[in-house]
Amino acid sequence: MVALLEIAEPGQSQVKEACVAAAVGIDLGTTNSLVAVVGPDPSSGAGKPLALPVDEGSTLLPSVVSYREDGPPIVGREARRRAADAAPDTIASVKRFMGRSSADPETKRLSPYRFAEGESGTVRFEVAGRSVTPVEVSAEILRTLKTRAEQRLGTPVRQAVITVPAYFDDAQRQATKEAGRLAGLEVLRLLNEPTAAALAYGLDKRSEGTFAVYDLGGGTFDISILKLVEGLFEVKAVGGDSALGGDDFDRAIAEVLLAEMGREREPRLVRQAIDAARAAKEALTARDSVEVEIAGFRRTLTRAQLESAMRPLIERTGPPSRRALKDAGAEGKLDGVILVGGSTRVPAVRAYVQALFGLPPLADIDPDEVVALGAAVQADLLTAEKPQHDVLLLDVAPLSLGLETMGGLVEKLILRNTTIPTSATQEFTTFADGQTGMDIHVVQGERELVADSRSLARFRLSGIPPLPAGLARVAVTFQVDADGILSVTAKEQLTGISQSITVKPSHGLTDEEIERMLLASLQHAEDDMAARLLIDARIEAQRILRAAEHQLESNGDLLSAEERGPIERAMQSLRAAMESGDHRPIKDAIERLDHDSAEFAKRVMDRGIERALKGHTAAEFETGEMSEHAKKAYRALRDD
Amino acid sequence: MQPPAGGTARDKFAVLGLPRSFELDAGQLDERFRTLSRKLHPDRFARASARERRFSLEQTTLLNDAYRTLQDPARRAEHLLELRGIHPLSDTAMPEEFLEEAMADREKLLEAKMEGGKDGVEQLAAGIRHKRDAAMDEIAGVLRNPSPEPPALSRVSELLARLRYYARYLDEAMGRAPEP
Repeated sequence: MVALLEIAEPGQSQVKEACVAAAVGIDLGTTNSLVAVVGPDPSSGAGKPLALPVDEGSTLLPSVVSYREDGPPIVGREARRRAADAAPDTIASVKRFMGRSSADPETKRLSPYRFAEGESGTVRFEVAGRSVTPVEVSAEILRTLKTRAEQRLGTPVRQAVITVPAYFDDAQRQATKEAGRLAGLEVLRLLNEPTAAALAYGLDKRSEGTFAVYDLGGGTFDISILKLVEGLFEVKAVGGDSALGGDDFDRAIAEVLLAEMGREREPRLVRQAIDAARAAKEALTARDSVEVEIAGFRRTLTRAQLESAMRPLIERTGPPSRRALKDAGAEGKLDGVILVGGSTRVPAVRAYVQALFGLPPLADIDPDEVVALGAAVQADLLTAEKPQHDVLLLDVAPLSLGLETMGGLVEKLILRNTTIPTSATQEFTTFADGQTGMDIHVVQGERELVADSRSLARFRLSGIPPLPAGLARVAVTFQVDADGILSVTAKEQLTGISQSITVKPSHGLTDEEIERMLLASLQHAEDDMAARLLIDARIEAQRILRAAEHQLESNGDLLSAEERGPIERAMQSLRAAMESGDHRPIKDAIERLDHDSAEFAKRVMDRGIERALKGHTAAEFETGEMSEHAKKAYRALRDD
Repeated sequence: MQPPAGGTARDKFAVLGLPRSFELDAGQLDERFRTLSRKLHPDRFARASARERRFSLEQTTLLNDAYRTLQDPARRAEHLLELRGIHPLSDTAMPEEFLEEAMADREKLLEAKMEGGKDGVEQLAAGIRHKRDAAMDEIAGVLRNPSPEPPALSRVSELLARLRYYARYLDEAMGRAPEP
């Protein structure tokens, strides 16, 4: 709707939004999760993001969920303490299973869990007499963060930016979004973790230039190359390994210990060995040797022994890093390397990074908190009427997207590291005479063969007129939005018959399953649905009215008196509707105003674009000729 | 310059407010892209109505596509031809001698790889890089002329097809095969 068109410079509006609900940034990590928020806590100072203490005074909530027969699940430190005694019922590092199928190698590695036979390939854990999916376990963590943030802030929390590894594929992103929904959060955006870190770091240090973000967390490795110019954070290339992190270090060390012990690997012992390995790894960041004790078995572990167990894993970060540097065209041009993730505390990792990039890494912001802080800034940017920072993130598609063609080959439509949002269209023809249908198989990945790629979706376009082979033409369009989520449209050119889908994870939960879980969680919630809808509708109405008033004031000259009348009347009826105790008339009045102001909105937008281009040309003293180009640009942008 | 009759291709220079020309100031291109991104990006419309969010998504998609095309000299040249109604990669029939040359190049590359010597492969790649740079220079020479003759444009089409081939060859030679 019109006024929502904040074509006016960000920060121009003087109206301060009443603080009704907070939008937070959440780092849903493999090992630990955090929640952060910008403002309104006066003690935090203006505009600074702040991580909230959520677990026994700490900002880190261990990503551990322990299920019980006789009560709700326990999350965090308390759950971690139960881990050894209730090993199979206590899920740690659930992020590694997000969007994975039960056939995935992840389910076959050293772990203390019991896997249930899932339907439709979904991973399920057997816990305390029932089975849960990774999405449900993640939702428990998010719900805990939400509740504790609400207690801390004294306001409801409904919206969140949740971070994901840049190298997460579509299924993993969708699973994360579903977990957010399940926890009662509106997921404003899935933000790539290295981008979030760069945002927090860049704002804090006021840095400009080309940076690499080396993010080695508990379960994922990401490398991103970004360019920071005048508040614009432009991602140039990303790469990584979505199954490599500190957990693997722990497991490699645990393997060494278990092999020496030579006992049967029952869940409790495996859990103890992994915990002892992690403790030893942490102790050895500051010391040269440490005593290890597991169930009566003792030995001394030196830093050299630890590093030799970890070395092959650390070296796996080299090839993706070099490839990302090359893709970004940034070889030899880096201004800095930013370290993110708890695993970058390991001295051997730091030494490796320094050798890899030829630069001493920057680690002066807490590598555990930096991602959540950046997510909080993005949440503020997306929700505040007057954001605290005038910045913009331009992100990329991490993996190539394509279609299956004859012979099981992949035809790529969108290449990795393409700035999003983006779209691409490719025409295909029929291969048999009289063919009336075409199967569309969407895949993700860099490989040439469909068999080596990740399958995202399949659908069928039918109703193609029967023609000789090669005559019917089907245009397939991929559109990737700012969240990195793909939708696909196939259209037969002769008849205009079309099919479209938003890609859903092949191994995720079905929509029905999600709805069922949502209903169950809503019934247990104390929130009164109707009251909540009314409050939301009123807030929305207020915001829209304020914005409309603002636009009429600054761009009213774009309207004739006759055109202005209907808009003002629609605003009047919206004000009246707000007095009613029902959300429906408010929604209707909002729609009415939206409809009546459509043309005005378009004009305001056009003016904004024209000004953007003109401002430039004036600065370049080419007013006469260039304003002609500006007009052309504006026409080109409008044409669609 | 006139857009082709029935104008199928959208002018990507105009999207960025730049004159239609092969010669391009990279700094100005970047600056335009940033300014327009700040105005149009979906993040600026996160609180707006569904219609405006769609509008912003479409505009930003066009902007990103135009910027990607103009940044790369070969794609920029391709686009200049498209604006004249020529689609170099689908319309150009390659001469017989080029196909023979390509087959011979491939065989040499395979042989060098079999021998396992890094120097042999590097030498072949250097030869192709040289051809690539010469082709790019020739394209630039033709397109610097504001109204090139049709035969010169056909030559550019052929050179663009060659550039695609050189790029693929170099990827293969340098072992830049797609990674898992």
